[in-house]
Amino acid sequence: MDLKKELQRFCKLSGPSAFEAPVVKAAVELMAPLTDEAYVDKFGNAIGVRRCGKKNAKKLLFDAHIDEIGMIVSGYDDDGFLLFTSIGGVDRRMLPGREVTILTDPPMFGIVACLPPHVLSREEMDRSIPMKDLRIDAGLTSKEKAEKLIPVGTPVSFRNGDYGGFYMDNNLFCGKSMDDRACFLILVRTLELLKGRELDCDLYIIGSCREEVALGARTAAFAIAPDACVAVDVTHAATADNKGEDSVLGGGPEIGIGPNCTRWMTERMKAICEARRIPMQLSVMPGASGTNGWVFQIAREGIATQVLSLPERYMHTPVEIVSLKDMEYTAELLAEFALEPGWGVSKC
Amino acid sequence: MDILKTLNTLNACFGPSGREDEVREAIKKLAKPFADEMKTDAMGNLYVRKKGNGAKVMFSAHMDSIGVIATVVEDEGFIRFGRVGGISPATLLSSTVRFANGTRGVVQKNEDAKLDKLTLQEMYIDIGVANKEEALKHVQPGDMAVYDAPSFLTPGGMIVSPYLDDRICCVAQLMALEKLKKTDNDVWFVFTVQEEVGLRGAKTAGYIVDPDYFVVCDVTWSDDTPKAEHFASSVTGKGAAIKIMDGSVIAHPQVVKLLNDIAKQKKIKVQQDVLKGGGTDAGAIHVSRAGVPSSGVSVPIRYCHYAQEMAALSDVEDTAKLLAAFAENKF
Amino acid sequence: MLKYLKELCLMDGVSSFEDNVRDYIINELSPVVDDMRIDALGNLIVFKKGAKRVKGGLMLAAHMDEVGFIVRKIEDDGYIRFSAVGGIDARVVLGRRVFIGKDMVPGVTGLKAIHLVSAEEVKRVPKIKEMYIDIAAPDKASAEKKVSLGDKIVFDSDYLEFGEDKVKAKALDDRVGCAVMMNLAKQDLPCDVTFVFTCQEEVGCRGAFGAAFSVNPAYALVLEGTTSADISNVPAEKKVTRLGAGPVIGCMDGSTIYDEGLFRMTAALADEAGIAWQIKQYIAGGTDASAIQRTREGVRVANISVPVRYLHSASTVACGKDIKDTLKLAQLFVRAIAEGKAGK
Repeated sequence: MDLKKELQRFCKLSGPSAFEAPVVKAAVELMAPLTDEAYVDKFGNAIGVRRCGKKNAKKLLFDAHIDEIGMIVSGYDDDGFLLFTSIGGVDRRMLPGREVTILTDPPMFGIVACLPPHVLSREEMDRSIPMKDLRIDAGLTSKEKAEKLIPVGTPVSFRNGDYGGFYMDNNLFCGKSMDDRACFLILVRTLELLKGRELDCDLYIIGSCREEVALGARTAAFAIAPDACVAVDVTHAATADNKGEDSVLGGGPEIGIGPNCTRWMTERMKAICEARRIPMQLSVMPGASGTNGWVFQIAREGIATQVLSLPERYMHTPVEIVSLKDMEYTAELLAEFALEPGWGVSKC
Repeated sequence: MDILKTLNTLNACFGPSGREDEVREAIKKLAKPFADEMKTDAMGNLYVRKKGNGAKVMFSAHMDSIGVIATVVEDEGFIRFGRVGGISPATLLSSTVRFANGTRGVVQKNEDAKLDKLTLQEMYIDIGVANKEEALKHVQPGDMAVYDAPSFLTPGGMIVSPYLDDRICCVAQLMALEKLKKTDNDVWFVFTVQEEVGLRGAKTAGYIVDPDYFVVCDVTWSDDTPKAEHFASSVTGKGAAIKIMDGSVIAHPQVVKLLNDIAKQKKIKVQQDVLKGGGTDAGAIHVSRAGVPSSGVSVPIRYCHYAQEMAALSDVEDTAKLLAAFAENKF
Repeated sequence: MLKYLKELCLMDGVSSFEDNVRDYIINELSPVVDDMRIDALGNLIVFKKGAKRVKGGLMLAAHMDEVGFIVRKIEDDGYIRFSAVGGIDARVVLGRRVFIGKDMVPGVTGLKAIHLVSAEEVKRVPKIKEMYIDIAAPDKASAEKKVSLGDKIVFDSDYLEFGEDKVKAKALDDRVGCAVMMNLAKQDLPCDVTFVFTCQEEVGCRGAFGAAFSVNPAYALVLEGTTSADISNVPAEKKVTRLGAGPVIGCMDGSTIYDEGLFRMTAALADEAGIAWQIKQYIAGGTDASAIQRTREGVRVANISVPVRYLHSASTVACGKDIKDTLKLAQLFVRAIAEGKAGK
């Protein structure tokens, strides 16, 4: 896999939660050459399986979600402007003037309309506008035209010019949907690192859907019934206006510690990093991790779970930044873990 | 099946969340002539099945209504209460409520409580007795009460009633069951419990049935009252509302498409429903087990969760038609 | 869409850094005009002979500059602090790519993630002075290798046509005006015209003062992009202008009361030619006319503008027909002046 090319490609694909089909398709195609079987399950998740061929083998599951936040058209004003609501946690502060892609077939261009400074008071200019007062401008002039071309329920994704994402210095990549497609590509890279190496367990790679709205991967955990799960998602890296974060870009994968992370898995991951000199960062999570890990842990009879995170700046904006070095470190850690999970007794 | 008559039969039953027995019994009687099999589970969900070897198609409408639960009976005989489901000071103030044994009371507020900041703690039920001893003869702490209000038809073909959410959809499901023609599909009309307190019955119902397709039948908001803020995209009178999204679920696009295609083919009036909040059984069932492709068919109502809700009769008809058509569909 | 518009919009020209735009115009127009000069501030003054002279002279003006930002400080941890050049709404700045300096170093205006802000914080938009640009520099020294204090910063925005006859690009204000003037300059003109491509309009019509003083015309027509707030949920009295309703003929704005005779003349020309037109329904904003009108002994000023949505943002929007009709109306204006129709 040409990682740099795939980062660009997956960044550009549009797939808000529940409408991820094109991304799921791409995910299955990418996994196919590296797995024994790659398919789309009943719920819509992309699944890839690498079987070890051994009797009574345990099952290990690695998950990264491939849906993104977005919006959905909910109505029209008389002039043809679109009313909308959000899919997932959209930050309303960065909506005015935001370019979007309206996911009709073929897709249409739109902008979230904003009022100019001339007609606003000082106080109004300091406030962010509630989503119900915002509109999408698709350049149409009547409600009839809008209804015909853009039905209620049409999903909308963010647009980054015509480029999707771009590379920055120090091996950084900036684009939309790095949450969590960058982590899905880490999983594919993990499969590459494992090529030709012997596994003692069956490895399931999930490119899950609907994480942003329903932690959808729980359905995959139910269907597969693994013995352990690793949820690989992004986490907040320090930024100029938030220097107190646990992790920094380039500091390596962040290993979660806390009730949501089964202790033997946490210890095993730390041990791997120490032994192989993989830079790691630690994050203490006293409660819910805000990831699929939270639902994996209580699926079926309960499953040993670990949350592993990729540091990222500007989460849930179209300019999310991740480090390719961190991605490679994370893939290395996951590959070593898959080769020897060191199955412990769950003490959670 | 006469909509108003059937609704009144169900409304006469007492059925807040967790206390749905009466409603279930009434539905069993009405469903019996059309069902191959009926059963109840540990939580109280009712399963009405038309057996088949084809695709397993599941519908659900919830039997429970919102209500209140008596907590403290005061010395003067006034009754303090907690909420059962999404009931609020605004919807309760000055309404009449009824307990299981028929005792009725008026819900009011402490005289010094301010209207604009009203909390449930500042409200009480007045059953018009002299003191605590008298009150306890009729109401005990732990007793629940529901809205006590009439139902009637308007000259414009609308139905006014308490708990159209979700009894009107129970009626729609019964109508669909009645309309259902021979099909190979294994069709389950489920009447769930405890939806209003967190989709609780649905969680187990989804696990038990494990269907190929799920379509919830619940109410949705209507965007056609004065100064409506567009919380919903549907309006009364424009047909069965096909669920695109509510606060608990985004419907699977392929099921939405199926519903729209079927509606077009069978010439059933429909509209597209994007609701910015709320929740339905689909929220619990679409992530049940290995997941279930899901959507919904809803009756748009005005004044959701108030003592008197309002819906268009024609929408109820269209909803029942679409449910039946989906149940018969060759997948 | 009008010739030259796409190229002009894609070029960067933050106020006082208009070089690229100026060079482009010089290149395109030099074969077809009679004289070109650049003055001390950077205005491009172009003279083209026409069929006759007009007493006192006719000047057309459009500004080359666009709103943008400037590097104010480079922090120890490599982040860039910046200020706005021209009036920019803080709400359209966050979460997007920008380019810094001559080398167009890419950076993004970062924002603390929504998960980390309180319910109160999300109701507020940070002020521009609280914002920062991330160029992926680990520290100040690395950052200083790529950018310097005072470097210009421009929005990243592509050019595309969409919807019903709409165009989106940055800087339609005032590259539409520049495109209209360039198209006119390519034609045979009924009278001599001095085309002034001004600089630094966005920071106070700075270029226009000196240009008007040196050209010293009797008549001046300012071609601009003006605000349209014709979004559906804006009350009618605040929409200002509407896309598709035609060129905006200047009557009065926040800085100029346009010459009444020229206003009526232009309106009559539009009516005769069947061109729909509109006036600004909200008195605010200003154009280079504010600098020109009160120069020396005074100049009779007129204005024709293209209505533009989301003015002063990365993604400005206009209607193709409005732009074409603005060119038509400007042509008619020049002819009318040539024919002495300006009156008194």
